[in-house]
Amino acid sequence: MSGGYHRILVVEDDPETAGQIVDSLTTGGYEVDLAVSGSEALRRGAASEYAVITIDRMLPDLDGITVMRQLRDDGVATPVLIVSALGEVDDRVRGLRAGGDDYLVKPFSFVELLARVEALGRRSDTIVKETMLRVGDLAIDLMSRNASRRGKEIFLLPREFQLLEYLVRNEGRVVSRAMLLQHVWDLHFDPSTNIIDVYVGRVRRKVDGQQAYPLIHTVRGIGYCLRAPD
Amino acid sequence: MLLTKTLRSSTFKLALIAIGTFGVIMSAIFSYVYLSTSSYVRSRSDRAIMADYMSLHGVYERSGRDGLIARIQQRLADKGFAESVYLLVDPSLTPLAGNLKAWPSTVAATGGLTEFRAAEPLRNAAGRPLLRAMIETFPTGDRLLVGNDISDLDSFTDQIKLAVISGVALIFVLAGVASILVTRRTVDRIESINATSRAIMLSDLDRRIPLRGTNDEWDRVAENLNLMLDRIETLMGEVKQVSDNVAHDLRTPLTRMRGRLEKAYHGQRIGETDQSLIGDTIADLDAVLRMFSSITRISQIETQARKDGFRTVNLVEIASEVVELYDAAAEQDGTRLTIAGDHEVLVTGDRDLIFDAIANLVDNAIKHGRAGGRIVVANENIDGRAVISIADDGPGIPVGEHQHVFKRFYRLEHSRYTPGNGLGLSLVAAVAHLHGARIEMLDNSPGLKFKLWFSAPTG
Repeated sequence: MSGGYHRILVVEDDPETAGQIVDSLTTGGYEVDLAVSGSEALRRGAASEYAVITIDRMLPDLDGITVMRQLRDDGVATPVLIVSALGEVDDRVRGLRAGGDDYLVKPFSFVELLARVEALGRRSDTIVKETMLRVGDLAIDLMSRNASRRGKEIFLLPREFQLLEYLVRNEGRVVSRAMLLQHVWDLHFDPSTNIIDVYVGRVRRKVDGQQAYPLIHTVRGIGYCLRAPD
Repeated sequence: MLLTKTLRSSTFKLALIAIGTFGVIMSAIFSYVYLSTSSYVRSRSDRAIMADYMSLHGVYERSGRDGLIARIQQRLADKGFAESVYLLVDPSLTPLAGNLKAWPSTVAATGGLTEFRAAEPLRNAAGRPLLRAMIETFPTGDRLLVGNDISDLDSFTDQIKLAVISGVALIFVLAGVASILVTRRTVDRIESINATSRAIMLSDLDRRIPLRGTNDEWDRVAENLNLMLDRIETLMGEVKQVSDNVAHDLRTPLTRMRGRLEKAYHGQRIGETDQSLIGDTIADLDAVLRMFSSITRISQIETQARKDGFRTVNLVEIASEVVELYDAAAEQDGTRLTIAGDHEVLVTGDRDLIFDAIANLVDNAIKHGRAGGRIVVANENIDGRAVISIADDGPGIPVGEHQHVFKRFYRLEHSRYTPGNGLGLSLVAAVAHLHGARIEMLDNSPGLKFKLWFSAPTG
């Protein structure tokens, strides 16, 4: 495993927010470097290898996206998480998902930040090429879009399959409701209802109903986690 | 349309009253002119007749019947008396002298001035001329008629009469046309002011009343109204700015607070009671932050900046995704959520915003509709316009409240305790406005039906 796997560069100019981000990422087991401006971010980003870089959209000198593009031009392939205020979510930010990067809308909970960073960090070192994914006794076939437990097929609607696939790909990691909305539905807003919970509830009944053990677990206050029992 | 408005306009009614009054006065003046002219003309001719008669009467008194016959014959030969008419008859009405062939039957023998039409043409004149004459029956029984051909006078007064009548008629017609034109101009200007006002009421506060550049009183009214609108727009902007700023500026400290609380929540030496207190506080804080996010989002939509990202999207596709997303929630309430209508309904717009608007309406329908009810999302192409409707069969909204539901933070009395912050429909309104779509609220009897009328996609 490369030395950069547990190092994260946080680019944030507000001292208190920066302090909180650094604290929670440190608690989450990461080593954290802090840059307080776009130019510092460019210097540090090019100098050392990081698992993930989080960049605030509004920096005193540069736009977060400009910083990201410049890092890419300098040959830095590290995944970037752009932290953006809601009013700043535009087409450029929404376009991030295509490049394997991600964005997070302020205000966010630090559990959410951690979940995003975990997901991004994982993506950078494992590229899943298999067409069959397995967690415990659950198997999902990405080609035929079939899911089954202990060989017994689970009937899922296309979107339900997508949701399950996303959970499986992030096996063992917390996936927030906002991440589900963005990655499964390609929605960039918060419908501000429990709609996701209800939806996941239905998928959960199909996947976990009358099985030896549950796979989809609720993580209070943040979202869900799919994992097999130890 | 404009003509009805013109005829109904108060200016036009005022003009009609003015024309009426003016017309009556003009008619009176013209009638007076006519009457006095004709009586003057008549009195002049009467004086001439009387003078002639007096002189002939004198001749009869002095020289008797034969003297008068001689004098009449002398007069008839005189060119100066070409218009004059004479007749002297004996008691048996046999003509003795004069240029009338017989005593006119219509004329009384009593004497005095009289007017009658001659029985035959006189001299070279064609037709039966109108005559005015003085008549006397002498004590001997002889009768004398001294008169004048007043045909010319008569046609002269007739001409005056014609001139007066046509003058009055012309004045009426011209005044009528003028008042219609003036009224139409007024109605036109007022209509343009009205149209602008209506557009503004449909929340297009950046509209202004067009000026004609004539610098007349209408332009000044329009100018002042425009200034007033500028002022209102500024004030509205300021109010919105304040609420946006509050939302924006409070967000940073609230986010920090949330961060600290979250840290405390996950802290090591924390009791269970404290943890649940902090957990509830975080939840409340999240609700406030979400409300602020919604306000910021609505404001951002209202700035119209999102129009740059417009492309052609299929309403049916978006609606199907919404229905699919909310299907589980509807199922939980035992509500049947279905999609109906055409397969392709294209609009030019922002997919995310349209999704959000439809999602809000569907969410409302599920929350406020009847449990175990039915919700239909229908997409249609109607007269080249894209229409989506979301209908539930719940209790609906009283018609009187329809106008208010789009206001920020507005909540109906009976829904005050259901989850939500009263911003959902404001967002729908903002999205609709950005897309130039009209929102219609209908009674689905029972229930409520929202209809969004988009304009046809361009290009």
